[in-house]
Amino acid sequence: MKVTIKSWTGVASWRWIANDENCGICRMSFESTCPECALPGDDCPLVWGVCSHCFHMHCIVKWLNLQPLNKQCPMCRQSWKFNIH
Amino acid sequence: MCDFDALWSDALKIFPVLGGINAPDEPIDEAVYENVCRHISNLGSADALTAIIDLEVQSAIRNTIVPSFWKQLYAGVDPSELQGDALADQSVSDKNKLFAQFIEAINELHVGYRSLERIKPRLILLNEKANANSAKPVSSSTSSSSIKLMQQDGIKTCVRDAMLAQLPPTFSTIVGAFYWVHYRLFTKDTQLASTTIDSDVFDELPCTGCNFDLEQCCCQKLTEMVNKTNMKLFEMNLTDRLAGSALTALIKDKIKEHINDTCLGIFDRSHLKQLETWLNDVIIVWLTNIFKGWIEKDTHDSIKAPASLQSFKVKLTYFMYETFAQNVISQFFSIIIDYPDSTPAIDDLKICMEKIDMRAYLTETLRSSLEARILHPGVNTMDILTGYVAAIKAIRHLDNTGVILEMVTAPIKEYLRKRNDTVRRVVTGLTEEGPTDLSEELAKGESIKDGKDNGTDEFSNWENWEPDPFGIDPNVMRYNSSKIMRSADIISMVVDIYGSKELFMVEYRNLMADRLISQLDFNSEKEIRNLELLKIRFGESLLHSCEVMLKDVTDSKRINAHIHGDGNCNANDQLFDISSLIISAQFWPSFNKESLQLPEEIENEFKKYTKAYEAYKGNRTLNWRTVTGRVNIVIEVGNRTMEMTVPPTQAVIIYHFQNKNEWSLDELSTLTKVPATALRRRISFWQNHGLITETSPGIFTLIEKETEKSQFEEMSITEADEEDLESAMASASDQREEELQVFWSYIVGMLTNLDSMPIDRIHQMLRLFASHSGGVEFTQDELKHFLQRKVREHKLLFSGGVYQLAK
Repeated sequence: MKVTIKSWTGVASWRWIANDENCGICRMSFESTCPECALPGDDCPLVWGVCSHCFHMHCIVKWLNLQPLNKQCPMCRQSWKFNIH
Repeated sequence: MCDFDALWSDALKIFPVLGGINAPDEPIDEAVYENVCRHISNLGSADALTAIIDLEVQSAIRNTIVPSFWKQLYAGVDPSELQGDALADQSVSDKNKLFAQFIEAINELHVGYRSLERIKPRLILLNEKANANSAKPVSSSTSSSSIKLMQQDGIKTCVRDAMLAQLPPTFSTIVGAFYWVHYRLFTKDTQLASTTIDSDVFDELPCTGCNFDLEQCCCQKLTEMVNKTNMKLFEMNLTDRLAGSALTALIKDKIKEHINDTCLGIFDRSHLKQLETWLNDVIIVWLTNIFKGWIEKDTHDSIKAPASLQSFKVKLTYFMYETFAQNVISQFFSIIIDYPDSTPAIDDLKICMEKIDMRAYLTETLRSSLEARILHPGVNTMDILTGYVAAIKAIRHLDNTGVILEMVTAPIKEYLRKRNDTVRRVVTGLTEEGPTDLSEELAKGESIKDGKDNGTDEFSNWENWEPDPFGIDPNVMRYNSSKIMRSADIISMVVDIYGSKELFMVEYRNLMADRLISQLDFNSEKEIRNLELLKIRFGESLLHSCEVMLKDVTDSKRINAHIHGDGNCNANDQLFDISSLIISAQFWPSFNKESLQLPEEIENEFKKYTKAYEAYKGNRTLNWRTVTGRVNIVIEVGNRTMEMTVPPTQAVIIYHFQNKNEWSLDELSTLTKVPATALRRRISFWQNHGLITETSPGIFTLIEKETEKSQFEEMSITEADEEDLESAMASASDQREEELQVFWSYIVGMLTNLDSMPIDRIHQMLRLFASHSGGVEFTQDELKHFLQRKVREHKLLFSGGVYQLAK
């Protein structure tokens, strides 16, 4: 007997490759959205800092805008720099 | 002086009653009369004579006329036969007999009455003469006024009194029979007109009026007799007092009969007009016919008679409305089911209810008929819902204040709340293809009225405020007392069964997830349309995750297209096409916890796909849910090939049989990581298809022989799909327990501090926490399930009605 698979329609869930589960700022899951957004994923992406912490982009941008002088990572207090892959 | 004997014999001639009622009633000589008058007035004994005559007349009526009337009436009739409801079930011939007897008895009574009545003017004249002679007007007038006979209608009153005093209980039956025949005679023509029997056949039937053969029809004669009898009755002023109640009873019967004949089960046209016409044309004309003699004869009473007829008519009209309304109400369940075809019947009832207060009767009847018809275990939830929606529509048409609706539908709501598939059915109804009540309502797209708007309306528009109608059961109204709730639309009424929209939306999400997962055709247009309609009604926030789910579907379509179009993935070494539904797990209901280990070569394909995805979407990866999906496979056995679409587990099973013809259940279970019981169930799919057989318990072997060919080919692909009806989603109760898991730490804390607690106390405490965090609402039952699971897991002890931590 020979079984040939012609096509396979599967189901998968996507997730971010990150070293944490929740955004340190809004405390929401990364796969969820920041408080301002409605749609997850492309519309509410994650960003990484050089300190390796990551947040919802909208959350960290908002945070940084609130810091008048030295822009720090809210988790480790190192100065924040975007880690561009 | 004169000869007293001669005078007495003359007086006897003038007043025959003095010699007993049977004394011959001869025409009297004027001279004799004058003579008697003179003598009596000379003697001054006019008063005495009058008194004697009065006594004689009364005793004659009491002892002779009336008893003989009753005797005549009951001649040959066994009174016991007439007991009770005899009128209804008597045969026509019986009635005809009673009819004849009644006429005869009345005739005799009338003869007696007339002979007495003839005395009266003579007596009055005598008294007048006597008074003129004696010139004592004062005393005579007082004395004469005390004598019954001298009063206006004196004899009539006397006869009536005597009749009523000796009234046998079954008398009204006989009168009823008389009028029954009369009515038959009267309505003969209308009946003829409405009868559709062939004229040939009709010839052989007895006349509908008199029940004799058509050649000997005596309707005409009978009618004359009846009219004469009627006239006599009126003359004696007996119609109203004596026959009135029987007459009314008969007419009521006739009205009921007519309503039953013409209106029963017919809801699609209005009956009221026609009934009113019938009442006017038949009953009232007939009554007028009965009262006619009186009107013509007694010009004195000509004004009074129509007035009494008029009041009779009003009474009968109300009675007709009431009967009709009762008739409609008793069939209201059918009306509800037939709505909107039954609108005319509801309109009729509406008119009746304006005239007569039937609200309590309506709610009572309707509630009990609804309970009997739909609120029992034998009825599908869907049918109950259909009934509920129809009831809402129909009753709202009847009463737009919603009070009746609220009272009638309260038991339905309560009952539906107890059925656990209600929510699912409602949601299915809302989204199902094809015309269902609910999906039509949804498509109308009216949004729920904003409570605030209506509230301000009520205040600014206070001049048009109307109080709630009378007769509201306060227990029912307590739930939602506001008018706004009561005038809410059908969707809200249905959703309102549970009192919250959230529950429905959660169920909607689950069902939608099921549909999307099981279809996997990346076609979400219809879902999007439904979702938009629901969003208008329930607001965006509740349906947010549904929106994300649908976006996942369209995104997946795009990603699949991208990956397929990508060069590296489309390499030659690719075994098969993979498409995937990529979901945002946070927004989907959680899946059940089944698992499946794929064979290595297949898994590699998935890894390739994941790689392609990772390349396409930076920093993101995929977690495959291997159990769910659809696999299109071609099986070649011997020289047969078969193409089919199966769920992944089935595909993997048959895939493993490629390399090895015989597997034990345990081996296969470890390899695929599917529990043995579940695996056995999946294998049975292939057993049904004649590809695998269980050679010995727990050992499965592939069949490759040709002999099974016929069996194999008969299998259709549809059967393969039927297997896959199980939901991929975690059941609602599983999800619920996950929610309750949040409280586990609270429960542990509580029990550590307080050692042991009964369930209601735990429930109370948790509700306190829940209300603080604005979190999950749960019932004590749900909590009990949860705690019992913890007991099974040996985390709790349950004894003597209290829970303790296991030590």
